Amino acid sequence: MLLLLPQAIVDGFLIGGIYVTIAIGFSLAYGVMHVIDFAVGEWIMLGAFLGFYLNLWTQWDPFFLLPFVFIVFAVIGFVFQPVIHRVLSGKKGNPLLMGLVFTFGLGLMFKGLGLTVFGFYSHSIPSALSANSFFLESGSFFVTIPVIRFAGLIYALSITLMLHYLLKKSDFGLAVRALAQNHDAAGLMGVNAKRTSSYVYGIYVGISAMSGVLIGCIFSISAQMGGDYTVFSFFVVVLAGMGYLSGVPWAAFFLGLVQSFLLIYFNPSYTLLAVFAILYVVLLVSPKGMFAKGV
Amino acid sequence: MRHRNIVWFASILSILLILPVITDDAFVLRIITEAFMWIGLAIAWDVLAGYTGYLNFGHGVFFGIGAYTTAILMMRSGWSFPFALPAAGAVAGIVALFAGLPTLRLKGAYFAIATWALSRAVQQVALVLEVTGGPDGMRLPPFLNPKFFYMLMLGIVTATFLLYWFLMERASFGLKVRAIREDESGAMALGLNPTKIKIQAFILSAVPTGILGGMYAYWITFIDPASVLGDLVTDQAVVMAVFGGLGTLLGPVIGAILIFLFKTYFWAYLSDYQVLYLIILGLLIAVSVIFMPNGLWGTMTGYAGARQALRKGLALNPPAGNDTEKGDKSHE
Repeated sequence: MLLLLPQAIVDGFLIGGIYVTIAIGFSLAYGVMHVIDFAVGEWIMLGAFLGFYLNLWTQWDPFFLLPFVFIVFAVIGFVFQPVIHRVLSGKKGNPLLMGLVFTFGLGLMFKGLGLTVFGFYSHSIPSALSANSFFLESGSFFVTIPVIRFAGLIYALSITLMLHYLLKKSDFGLAVRALAQNHDAAGLMGVNAKRTSSYVYGIYVGISAMSGVLIGCIFSISAQMGGDYTVFSFFVVVLAGMGYLSGVPWAAFFLGLVQSFLLIYFNPSYTLLAVFAILYVVLLVSPKGMFAKGV
Repeated sequence: MRHRNIVWFASILSILLILPVITDDAFVLRIITEAFMWIGLAIAWDVLAGYTGYLNFGHGVFFGIGAYTTAILMMRSGWSFPFALPAAGAVAGIVALFAGLPTLRLKGAYFAIATWALSRAVQQVALVLEVTGGPDGMRLPPFLNPKFFYMLMLGIVTATFLLYWFLMERASFGLKVRAIREDESGAMALGLNPTKIKIQAFILSAVPTGILGGMYAYWITFIDPASVLGDLVTDQAVVMAVFGGLGTLLGPVIGAILIFLFKTYFWAYLSDYQVLYLIILGLLIAVSVIFMPNGLWGTMTGYAGARQALRKGLALNPPAGNDTEKGDKSHE
């Protein structure tokens, strides 16, 4: 059993990388719009299927298709955001509550759409990288690293670095951080709140969709996969502390480790139960996340 | 006005009570029994979502827990149905208590996330446990008496409705939960304990749901994770309450009847397009939220209230003191 320990840890890190990208986008959208997007898993699913079909038609490697998937879904998100904004700025009832209900309905709609168009079957996206793997050995310990998962980690790191640069070094990032801090004050300083929120939502949807393609290369995709990834995104964001971006990578790697340990040492059918149990304990002990820095 | 409502309620109830005496049509009874069940599920969801302002996106889990509790107690422990049914409600209530303890102290988004995760987790676990029969589900002893189930379902849903009506519209509990929904720190300043009241409301919503789940299990005699724990139970309850009108008692009832009729029609005649159903449900939620945030019933009574106010001349010079009270009444 101990022999598999390095493998479990490495697997966890490799999977966790992808959750980092999803959760950072999700956290960003939450920070700016103050609404939890219950459709996040469905964006992942839709992106994955776009990648799947593009791969089928063009026969290009999914890694080359990533920018295209990103652009398509960024545009969709950008165009779509004003609708959510309208719900959130409504005068009637409780806008935040309505925002949650709205994204829930949206998720339901996308899931139905996915089931209608793509059917119930599972697919996987073939990539030239899936065939090979590195093999490391040291004494009696050994680790197998599939190239595709390693490429996934590199993808995740580069996306994270790009987002970091965008947020910390550019004027756009300054506007986003200002909006997250204080919506009204940012508006007074000349930040176009509507436009910036649309961009952020577009980026978030694009990244989610792109990560969906990678998930399709590493695991498999089906129209019903959305719900699980929604839970995973929530888990990472809550564990990191809602709106606290620096905590996201740790929480995401932790989720990856939980998943790989359950897969190797126990029964993967209990993954979601373990996820819920950890979520429960975190909410009970430190609702602001592992670092107590959330909102 | 209130007198007229009681007359309406009594006449509808008496028609429903007489119905099984005059008809033996099992199909009609079955359809109406299921309609009762959905009414119960929709008002139970609305008590927490509409009145208290906390969205339970795992409502179906309490239905499933009730169904599985009944099934397991009856099949594995040999309990009889009259004892297993209250146990279903009790187990659902206990689960709600534990799930609510950490999450209801926090803002609404955390609660929505946690209930969603809970329902996913329970779904997955029910598929692998031995006691639940895994993906094969469980069979219960058939008890083929449509009239029994009709009357029992009618009784349970009517009792639930009356309990909610009393607690939410007549007793001070309704004012307390509404105070928490509108302004939690304000409610705290008035000396209320929001967490306790929210947990009470959660249990109040979960127990009838569990009992309905138990009823469903014994009535349909076959349950599996897909049918009782699947997302569809939650999805439909949400659509019914949101479409009918959040924060009202009659709204979800009307929503439940309309959506249920639509569902029955859709699945009977358009079953080839079953997956389209989910799109329509999602679209209904989205469209209701954008164009009809008060729901069908809320919008209708809103217009009626405005017309009445106009007639009385209240809209022209509203009395200052009565203003808030009037505004509150129009939501009901």
